[in-house]
Amino acid sequence: MENDQDILIRCLSVTKQYKKGENLVTPLDTLDLDIPRGDFLAMMGPSGSGKTTLLNLLSGIDQPTSGSIEVDGVAIHALSRRALAAWRARQVGYIFQLYHLVPVLTAFENVELPLLLDDLKRRERREKVEAALSLVGLSDRMHHFPRELSGGQEQRVAIARALVADPPLLVADEPTGDLDRESADAILGLLQTLSREQGKTIVMVTHDPKAAGAASRTLHLEKGQLLEAVS
Amino acid sequence: MLLPFSYAVRNLYRDRTRLAQTLGGSALVVFLVMGAHALNEGMRKTLSASGSPRNMLILGKGSEESMQRSEVSEQAAGITEASVSGIYAPLGDRAVSPQIIHMANLGLPDGTRIRGLVRGVTAKALLTHPEVTVMEGHFPGPGEIMAGRLAWKRFGIDEGDLVPGTELRFDSATLTLSGIFAAPGTVLESELWMNLNDLRTLAQRETVSAVVVRLDEGDPADVQLFTRQRLDLELSAVTEQSYYARLATFYAPVRAMTWTTAALIAAAAVFGGLNTLYAAFASRVREIATLQAIGFRRTAILISFIQESLMTSLFGTLLGALAAVLLLADRVIYLSAGAFRLGFGPETLFAGLLAGTLLGLVGSIPPAIRCLKPSLPQALRD
Repeated sequence: MENDQDILIRCLSVTKQYKKGENLVTPLDTLDLDIPRGDFLAMMGPSGSGKTTLLNLLSGIDQPTSGSIEVDGVAIHALSRRALAAWRARQVGYIFQLYHLVPVLTAFENVELPLLLDDLKRRERREKVEAALSLVGLSDRMHHFPRELSGGQEQRVAIARALVADPPLLVADEPTGDLDRESADAILGLLQTLSREQGKTIVMVTHDPKAAGAASRTLHLEKGQLLEAVS
Repeated sequence: MLLPFSYAVRNLYRDRTRLAQTLGGSALVVFLVMGAHALNEGMRKTLSASGSPRNMLILGKGSEESMQRSEVSEQAAGITEASVSGIYAPLGDRAVSPQIIHMANLGLPDGTRIRGLVRGVTAKALLTHPEVTVMEGHFPGPGEIMAGRLAWKRFGIDEGDLVPGTELRFDSATLTLSGIFAAPGTVLESELWMNLNDLRTLAQRETVSAVVVRLDEGDPADVQLFTRQRLDLELSAVTEQSYYARLATFYAPVRAMTWTTAALIAAAAVFGGLNTLYAAFASRVREIATLQAIGFRRTAILISFIQESLMTSLFGTLLGALAAVLLLADRVIYLSAGAFRLGFGPETLFAGLLAGTLLGLVGSIPPAIRCLKPSLPQALRD
């Protein structure tokens, strides 16, 4: 049993339902989950099992139909859309399968985006962006546009963008799903480093058992329910 | 917090075909709005400048709306001169000018036929119309005719076809062009002026069309009272200004039609532009969702969309305005009442700028709202 102070995310009886045509779909059903600080958690399960829905709820992209989600003591299920946007800007970094970089901005400008939401001077922003790009090994590509980068490099830029504002929580939805093995290994290594050395809490959705193996814990979801936890 | 301005700028170049379509649409709308505005302003200014508040037109009763249809007895000019007080009289010469307005067919030496308004006048017409100045040659005497400086445009011929010395055929008579006159900003500039007696003979009239009286101290009401008292002459008096103002009302349907045509074409351009923006914004749904996931508010994204759309429409406005100035400024439009120079002024430019700005603002909001409408998880999945 973890000490309450060690828990970053606490989900209690979380249910998510939505209507699809005439049918009521329940991708998550009364789910309870605690995620400790610094954890590197992998979530696996078949398509439609509720992995991405859970990831969206934990990161404040979506809100539950019922139940509560607390992240670092903040009841995010009760926040307004505007407050949730501000919360996401400070607390969460996102890594998507298809990188979701803005194509008309350079690597530097893409990474700088989250910092624009803070009251920082241009010089401070530049230092942070350069540090983040250096951490992912892309200092020499900072003025390149996404179309001038490989898939692995684009994902590293996306990781730098997720990291740059120093959020305690990183969420990754299939971060290696679109990469070759070598690039995928590099990305997973980077995530492990961030968890181990910077104490980031990482929640990663994956279909790939090898990617899940890089995490410190794996959760299996099926039909909106947690099946088991594997350390 | 707003998105960087460079995001809006660089989005313009994402799809050059779309950019060209939006630019073209905005430019077309602005061009049409400026053209319609300039035409209306030109007509309004020309018609209002054509009528002096000091001039009274004495017309045949029942013909107050058309000098061409009006018939006034030959003696009316003399009787008016003797009966009305306060007439402008430089060096004792009283400004009372009998005139015949006649639509005539004339022949050029090369056989070209032209049809236009001929005004039969005496030298006193220069007292009632001081805005008329003979630029070249001299005032027409018997057997002569004088052309307004825009008449050649009105007839669609070369300027060189109407120079002093040119011989014009009017029925069986040959008239020599005695000079060119200017009357800036009035419909007179597209007319031909000739000797009153010659026109009376050629048009086979025993009456004149109107008597123009220029007042000095006199009260227009006195002239009207005079026409009411002389029932035997069957006259009516209107100020020249109100005559042209009424003429302007006659052209209201023409003006309405110009605006309607401009509005219809503009509406088509707006719908085309909306469609282009819908497609442009819709292709970015996931990118927009990513920005929201990072923490940018919908308002910030909406502002960025508006910036992008405004930049395109304002650049289109610049192109449209430039095209309008290059192609339409100083252009003269001819209607039966005379020639109208398109009235380009600050108001026309403002109308174009307003149209372009509204286009950018209003045109971007529906596609932007549609793009921001899907829920965040759905948009990220898209």
